[in-house]
Amino acid sequence: MAEKFDNLEEHLEKFIENIRQLGIIVSDFQPSSQAGLNQKLNYMISGLQDIEKCRQQLHEINVPLEVFEYIDQGRNPQLYTKECLERALARNEQVKGKIDTMTKFKSLLISELSKVFPEEMVNYKAIHGEDAPS
Amino acid sequence: MTEMFSTLFGQNEAQGPPGSASLGFGPGKPPPPLPQNQGSMTGQMPPQLGDEGPALRKPGAMNEPFYLLRELPVGNELTGNTNLITHYNLEHAYNKFCGKKVKEKLSNFLPELPGMIDCPGTQDGSSLRSLIDKPPVCGNSFSPLTGALLTGFRLHTGPLPEQYRLMHIQPPKKKSKHKHKHHRPQDPLPQETPSDTDPKKKKKKRDDDPDRKKKKKDKKKKKNRHSPDHPGLAGSQPNSNSLR
Repeated sequence: MAEKFDNLEEHLEKFIENIRQLGIIVSDFQPSSQAGLNQKLNYMISGLQDIEKCRQQLHEINVPLEVFEYIDQGRNPQLYTKECLERALARNEQVKGKIDTMTKFKSLLISELSKVFPEEMVNYKAIHGEDAPS
Repeated sequence: MTEMFSTLFGQNEAQGPPGSASLGFGPGKPPPPLPQNQGSMTGQMPPQLGDEGPALRKPGAMNEPFYLLRELPVGNELTGNTNLITHYNLEHAYNKFCGKKVKEKLSNFLPELPGMIDCPGTQDGSSLRSLIDKPPVCGNSFSPLTGALLTGFRLHTGPLPEQYRLMHIQPPKKKSKHKHKHHRPQDPLPQETPSDTDPKKKKKKRDDDPDRKKKKKDKKKKKNRHSPDHPGLAGSQPNSNSLR
């Protein structure tokens, strides 16, 4: 998996670097730079071909659309990952808290019901196993 | 950070909370099947449970006094009771992203990308959203430009107008951890980096060093003056003044 990304990353880096050099040539163009410019333009095309080839290897990769929003706003996309993990942990804690509370409640309810309805609770335990209050 | 996990979820979370297995929430034993007459019992129950309720329940109470009794959930189901970050082996990612402060700007994530990438993409129409909204025409293969096609790229000599030089403006970098792979001769120098400031500090230290030496020398001389075995007091005094 990582190899695919490395391959794409490498091609993208080369492409960006080529574009940057192209920009430098164009920014202060000299007649002698024409050959270099033509070469860079063809490098750009071969770079696009390389990136196009990488596309086939990355079909199954899904990127959350929210990440694009971060990038469009000039923000670090790692912040999205961070917020996702923090949200997940917070929700996880909430659910765990609810489960723990309900477990305690059930235990207490069984304990109290056993005092008030001992026979029924014996029957209940026969159905649901030994639900002894913890 | 792992301590935080353990405090939040306890050490024995794999076994579930105490008594959870016995209560049917844990991975303990599955619930026993309901007796066959329970279904029929449920079917016999009237929708209204008024005064007749106990009377109707009486025959059933021999074996089964309960109705609307559901099966307990299966114990081995993955719920929020377990630490899901640990379950999916994401502690490393959690510590990496949440353990330390993640820098806000996009240029911190892509330090080697040229240009002003921290500006909103909507300003210059370079947003990824626009790429989704208006996807580019695909399917055409890229073919290299031949001599005839390259004639269209013959440029006039001279520098570009100012507004088109944005490509070379780099945001001021605070810290560059990675060394640049490629040599960039025409890049404008970053304004001020910690690597620049560090030598300054060092320089300052170096500048301070002679002063310190002077002070040390003075102290030594003063000590020597006060010491009884000092050879000459008069001769040393001007020297010390000149040093000051």
